[in-house]
Amino acid sequence: MTQKNDPIATFGEALLEVAEENPDVVALSADSSSGSGLKFIAQRFPNRHFEFGIMEQGVIGYAAGLATTGKIPFVAAIAPFVTARPFEMVRNDLGYMRQNVKLVGRSAGITYSDLGATHQSLDDIAIVRTIPGFTVVNPGDPEDIAQATHAIAQHRGPVYMKIGKYPMPYLHGADYRFELGKAALLRQGSDVTLIGTGTVLCRAVEAAELLARKGIEARVLDMHTIKPLDTEAVLAAASETGRIVTVEEHYIAGGLGGAVAEFMAENLPTPMKRIGINDCFASNGPYEDLIGLYGLLGPQIAESVEGFLQSSASALSR
Amino acid sequence: MNTPVTMITDCHRPSHKMKRLTHEEKRGLKRTALKLRRNIVRMIKAGKSGHAGGALSIADILAVLYFKVMSVDPSNPGWEDRDRLVLSAGHKCLGLYAALAEKGFFEKSVLDTYGALNSRLPGHPDMYKLPGVECNTGALGHGLSISGGMALGLRLSGKQSRVFTIMGDGELAEGSNWEGAAAASHHKLENLLVFIDRNGLQICGPTAEIMNYEPLDQRWASFGWSVRVINGHDLDMIYENATDIPFEPGKPSVIIADTVKAKGLSFAEGVLKYHYWKATPEELSEAERDLDAIERTLLP
Ligand SMILES: Cc1ncc(C[n+]2csc(CCOP(=O)(O)OP(=O)(O)O)c2C)c(N)n1
Ligand SMILES: [Mg+2]
Repeated sequence: MTQKNDPIATFGEALLEVAEENPDVVALSADSSSGSGLKFIAQRFPNRHFEFGIMEQGVIGYAAGLATTGKIPFVAAIAPFVTARPFEMVRNDLGYMRQNVKLVGRSAGITYSDLGATHQSLDDIAIVRTIPGFTVVNPGDPEDIAQATHAIAQHRGPVYMKIGKYPMPYLHGADYRFELGKAALLRQGSDVTLIGTGTVLCRAVEAAELLARKGIEARVLDMHTIKPLDTEAVLAAASETGRIVTVEEHYIAGGLGGAVAEFMAENLPTPMKRIGINDCFASNGPYEDLIGLYGLLGPQIAESVEGFLQSSASALSR
Repeated sequence: MNTPVTMITDCHRPSHKMKRLTHEEKRGLKRTALKLRRNIVRMIKAGKSGHAGGALSIADILAVLYFKVMSVDPSNPGWEDRDRLVLSAGHKCLGLYAALAEKGFFEKSVLDTYGALNSRLPGHPDMYKLPGVECNTGALGHGLSISGGMALGLRLSGKQSRVFTIMGDGELAEGSNWEGAAAASHHKLENLLVFIDRNGLQICGPTAEIMNYEPLDQRWASFGWSVRVINGHDLDMIYENATDIPFEPGKPSVIIADTVKAKGLSFAEGVLKYHYWKATPEELSEAERDLDAIERTLLP
C-alpha cells in the first residue's frame, strides 16, 4: 500500500488508451480540460477534443447529440458541474434518451477541501443513481480508475464515474481484474464487513488493519460500482458476517450507505452503520483536516466500527 | 446587431455632468487599491495558494465601489438600506475579502487564517461565515439572477439601494447569465449595475479561444442593457460611471471593464497559470517588491 498515483492523470492516460482503441471516443470540456485529465487525448487527437467554455448545461446536450451519431463522448469536469449543475439535462438527455455518454466528475467528494461547498460533491451518487439506466462508478484505487475507464467505454449506456484529486494508494494485487457491477474482495473477515468506495476505500482498509490488532476480523469490499449494486456480495457479507458498515466520502443519505440500506431492509435486515458525511454543507480547510473533521480517518473509522459492534451486540442481547 | 454602444475614453465622455474625483480622492483610492492588493498577497501567503489572478484584476473596481460609491456600514452589515455587492464570479473572493477587511467588516488578522481548517475565508465566499458577504457564489452563473432578485426586491420596498454585480468574462458562457440578463431588462432594473471583468483569460486559455462571446458590448445591448466600455484600472472612469446609473432611464447598466489578470504583480500579469497561484517563497517576495514599487509612486 505504499505506491501512490494521481487519480486524474490515471484517468486521462486510460482515456487516451481507450481513444486509441476506439475512434468513436471523443472528449468534451467546459473550460475543464486541463484540470480533468483531458490534455492527453487533446494532444494526441486534437480534432476529437471539443472545448465549450463554462457551459455545463449545454455541454450535456452536445454530448447527447454527439452520442446519437454513434460517438462515445466523455465529459469531464469538477464533479458538481457534471452532476448537480446540469442535472435535468443529465436525466432527460442522457438518461431518458438512453445516450451512450460518460460523465467523469473529478475532485469529487470533499477533495476540493479549500474551495468550499460549491465545489464539493457529497450528493452526486445520490442524485445520479435515481436516473433509470445510469451506471454509477466510484473507483477506490488507481487500478480501479484505469480499468474502469476502459470498462465504461465498452459498456453501452450512460455512466457517471467520480474520482478524487489526491494521490491514491494501490490497494489491489497485480492480477486484479475490475468488473463493472461486481464488488472486489480486499480482505477476508467474519466479524463485520466494511463496504468502502472511492477516495476513502483506503481508509476502510486501514481501519480493518487496526481492528485486526484488536482481534476483530473485518471483511473489506471495494464497492466501486454503486449502480447496479452488487447485491450478491452484499447478501453474502450480511449473512456471513452479520454486521455491515459502509464507508464513503458522500452524504450518508442516498449514497453507498443508502443504496446498501435500501436493499438490505427489504431482503435481509441486518445491523448496519453508515459512515460518511451527515446532513451539512462541509466546511473548508486542508483535506486531511477536513476528513478528520468528519470522522473519516482510518483510526476514527476503526473506533466507530468498534462502538457499533458493541452497541449492536448489546441491542441484540436485550 | 448594430445597437449604439457608448465607448468611454478620456476624450469622449457622455455630455451630461458626471461626478469627478478630486486629485486627493484619486490618490487616496490608489492607496486603497494597493492595500487591497497587499491583503490579497497576504492571504495567498497564509494559504500558500488561491485564485489570485481574477481577484487582482478587480481590485481597482472594488476599491472605488467600497470606498467611494457604495453605502455600506461595517458596524451594521445587515443594514436594510445598504447597497449590495454580488460577486458572481465567486472565485475572485480574495478581492472581496481584501476589501471587506480594509473597510473594517472584520479584523485584518482574519486574513492570516486563509486556507486553515474552518477559516472564515473559504475558497468561495460564505455569507454565514463572514459579515459583508451577500451571497454564496462559487458556482459560476448564479450571481446575475440573484442580483436581479435583490434589485427587484429593493425597488419593491421603495429603497434607494443599488446592486453592484461583478462577473468574469469566461463566466459569460453560462447560459443562466443570459436568462438573468433578459429578465433584468424586462423588469427595467435601473438599480442594477454589472461589471464584466474582461481580463481576457479563464482557466484553460484566452476567453476568445475557449468560447468567444464577442462582441460583448453589442450582445449586452441586444439584451436591452445600457452598455459602457472602460479601462477597468482607471479609477476616474470607474468612479464616474459607477455613480452615473442608470446610464439610460428604464434600463439596467453594464460596464465592460478591460482589465489585466493578476494586475499589479509584474511576473503574473496576463499569465494563464496565475488564475490559481501556487505561490513559491520567491514569487511572494517578488510580489512584495512589486507592490513596494507601486507604493513609492504614491508618495506625496
Ligand atoms: C459552474 C462552474 N463551472 C466551473 C467552475 C470552475 N471555474 C472557476 S473559475 C473559472 C474560470 C472563470 O473565468 P472568468 O470568468 O474569466 O474569471 P477570471 O478567472 O478571469 O477571474 C472556472 C471555469 C466554476 N467555479 N463554476
Ligand atoms: Mg476572465
